[in-house]
This record gives sequence, structure tokens and C-alpha cells, in this order.
Amino acid sequence: MPASVDVVSKVNLLMHEGFEIPLEKLTPNATIFGDLGLDSLDAVDMLVNLEDKIGVKVEVERIKAVRTMQDIYDLVESLSTTPGMKTQLDQ
Amino acid sequence: MSDATNVYITGMGAISSLGINVPSMFTALLENKSGVKHYPDWAKYNGLHSHVGGPAPEYDIMKVPRTARRTMSRMSEMSVLATLEAMGQADLQAGAKKSTPRIALCMGSTTGSPENLELYFKKLIERGGPEGQMGTTFFKVMNHSVVANVAAALEFKGPVFSPSSACATSAQAMILGWELLQSGLYDIVIAGGADELHYTSAAVFDIVMAASRNYNDSTQRSPRPFDIKRDGLVVAEGAAVVVMESESSMQKRGARPLARFDGGAYLCDASHMSQSSRPAMVEVMTMALERARRKSSEIGYVNAHATGTVQGDQEEAQAIGDVFGKQIPVSSLKGHFGHSLAACGTLEAIACVEMMRRDVLLPTRNLHEVDPACAHVFHLQEARKTSVRTIMSNNFAFGGMNTSVVLSFMGG
Repeated sequence: MPASVDVVSKVNLLMHEGFEIPLEKLTPNATIFGDLGLDSLDAVDMLVNLEDKIGVKVEVERIKAVRTMQDIYDLVESLSTTPGMKTQLDQ
Repeated sequence: MSDATNVYITGMGAISSLGINVPSMFTALLENKSGVKHYPDWAKYNGLHSHVGGPAPEYDIMKVPRTARRTMSRMSEMSVLATLEAMGQADLQAGAKKSTPRIALCMGSTTGSPENLELYFKKLIERGGPEGQMGTTFFKVMNHSVVANVAAALEFKGPVFSPSSACATSAQAMILGWELLQSGLYDIVIAGGADELHYTSAAVFDIVMAASRNYNDSTQRSPRPFDIKRDGLVVAEGAAVVVMESESSMQKRGARPLARFDGGAYLCDASHMSQSSRPAMVEVMTMALERARRKSSEIGYVNAHATGTVQGDQEEAQAIGDVFGKQIPVSSLKGHFGHSLAACGTLEAIACVEMMRRDVLLPTRNLHEVDPACAHVFHLQEARKTSVRTIMSNNFAFGGMNTSVVLSFMGG
């Protein structure tokens, strides 16, 4: 399922506010550790922010597989549509 | 002491409750301003009676890259800015491409960031484990967070260490720096300390009835060092840093000396964790004079640690009287700044250097009626225009940590 506009905008806002990345750099093909310059410490904080600010609980193993912004959009979309999981995307 | 072992201060930087740099701080001191403010919100904390603190003014840390900034609490942010100010005055460049083994960074704090310690443990307890902890939090609460973050921000690749002795931290850092420079192993030591304002820091003193609690509605009347109506200290925040340099390094670089660090001493009285000791204070001041190769008669002013506590101020006034008699002017700057804990030793040393450079001695703010128990010295109750060449500055801390330093101004 393609990520919704809401998921994309909320993830982008999280990346912009949390890691000071200009919004124009937050494109689907942008690589997290290459184009956007994040590292392993940031990845942990991103995981916590996804839970605290968007309400999706991401397993560490799944975040390790993330390479691009599109991967994050897809991950959040899949978790937010998991039956029984209520996220802040619903609010 | 031979010229080869002379140590000079060639740069100074500070953020305090009175300003975001040394010039603004000293202007505020000359205007007899107070950095103390009311924290009515602290009333919500059960058992906390002191609702006053000395916050630093807003500062701009955004010039530091995010990857360095993300692991900083306020104490590290302020330390970076104070270090940059000091290095700028000393004409030292940040961002070394290679290691600098003869330049050391020596800075500390009382604890890791109290704000982040609270957040860390609150979440840990709420969640029953480390789930949900940020990856960057621990780097704000390490015992050496301040100096590690300063090194990272400056890309400093030399020796780094972090003394920690609560309110004597930065005084001890400077004395350690002086000792290291005397050893000949280093050319430059960048020394100082920092702490950030948080209600848990006020609580430490409040619990042992050493924090001011009767002036919550008239904040600028407290603290009141040596005054008959003093009721405790006011916790403040800040960072203070000096560049200390051997004479040979200074001459080689063509650096300008601001003052000479004649020497200092630190001793633990090893008798009580919280109570001050007059004999121990006498001992450390005497030892500092000896190490600085100065006589008590050569000291023109004593900058007291005096925080505004009943017992500590009394012991210190009596100890200063024992060493210097009643002729030498004495004041404490805690009435202006509040008590900036790990920062205060270097902060007050910087103020002392500025006093000598500007031919003025600052008074103890809020000292209106000297407590007879503190009447053993000549208290400065108003600023005095006078030329002083040599100053002693005291700092004492929980754990029986006593320090004293001697600074001289060479003119110019």
C-alpha cells in the first residue's frame, strides 16, 4: 500500500524538527545515512521519535533495514494500518 | 619562582546569570545588578522551599553543528560558547586537523545534566526498563559530558580530563592546570567548569537547609553573603573558562597576558561532608600563598566564596580574618550571580582579573548589616576605585573540598 499524504507529511515534519533537515531534502529517494547525513545515534532517536510523536512502535530490526525516506514512509504506513494499532495518525 | 614556570591567563570566557560573555557580565557587576529570578513553578515540587534561581540569559548555540549539539545539555552548550570566547581572546583557533598533545582541556561539572538525568530515570521507571530511551541522552549525563562535548564541538584532539568537586570544580581545574603547566608537560591548559539551573540542584541545598527560602517574593534581596539576614544560597547556572599558558608558549605565540596565575592549593578537610571548617580554610589559604610565593601582606583583596549560608559565611569570614586580619577588603560576588556551582571558581577568578584590570573592587551585593559573627574582616559594601595588583579567591565545596587561588595583574 503506498504511503498516505498524511504519513509522508508527518514523517517529514519529524525528520525536519528532530534532525534539522531542510524539508526540500526530504524526498522519497533520499538515503537516510548518505544524502541526509544521519548516523547510528540518530537512528535510535528516530525510532524513539516515531513512537513518541507518531505513535508507531518500530522494532529495532526493522529500522536497521531502512535505507531511504520511502522505506520509512512504507514502514510507518504498514504499522499504522496494522489491525489493533492506534496511532497518532488516527487522531 | 623562575620565569620558566610562570603561568598566565591569556583568554577568558563566561556565560552567567549576568550575561552571555565577559564584557556584559562585568558591566552588570559594575551596575550592581542581580541575576536572581523568581521560579514560582518550583512551588509544585513537594518539600522544595527555595523558589529562586540565577538563569543565564538566552544565548545562540546554533553556530555549533547539529551532530555536536545533539548530545549537549545547557551546561555543555554554555561551556562551548565560553570556551570559544576565551580562545578568541587568546587568539587560539578551534578545529585542529591533528592532535595537540601539549594543549589540554580540563573542565568539569557537579554532575551530568540534572534535567536529563531526571528525564532518563523518569522514563526508565515509568516503562520498567530502558525502552524508549533516546540514543543521545546518556551523552548529556556523563560525569565528563561537559569536556567531551566541548572537545567534540571544537574538534579538539588533545588530552581531555574532567575534575569534579561540586562548587570547587572549576577552581580545582585551574589549579590542576597551573600544576600541569608547571610540570612542563603542557604549553596551554584550557580550564573551567559549568552547571545548569534545575530545581533538583536547588533541592540538594534546600534539603540540608542551606538554600534561601525567605526571599521568594523579593528575589533580588537574596542571597545575602555575610549579612545578618542571610538565609542560604541561591542556585545559579553558567560556564566559565580560562586559557592558561606557560610564559614560553605565550612569548612564542605573541599572546597578550591578562593576568598571572601565581598559584593555588586544594585540600580536603576530611572531617564533614557539608559543614565548613575555619581551620581547614585557613590551611588552604596559607598553602595557596606559599605555593604562589606570596606573603599575606601582598594580597590587596580577597574574593570570598561566601554563598549566603549561615555557617559557611561565618567560618570563612573568621578564616580570612585569621590569615589577613581586618585591613584587606573582602567581598563575595554570590549576591550578584547566585551560586553557579561548578562554574563559580573560574567565574569569580575572571571577575577578579577584570577588577584588577579596571582598578575597581566590587562589593558584596545585599550586604546591608554585617552579621557580628562575620565581622572579622573588612567588608566591601560599595564599589571602590583602587589599584590592586594581587588577589586571592576562595572556593569551597561539599565533601570538604577547599580551594584558594592567587592572581596578579602586571599592568598594561
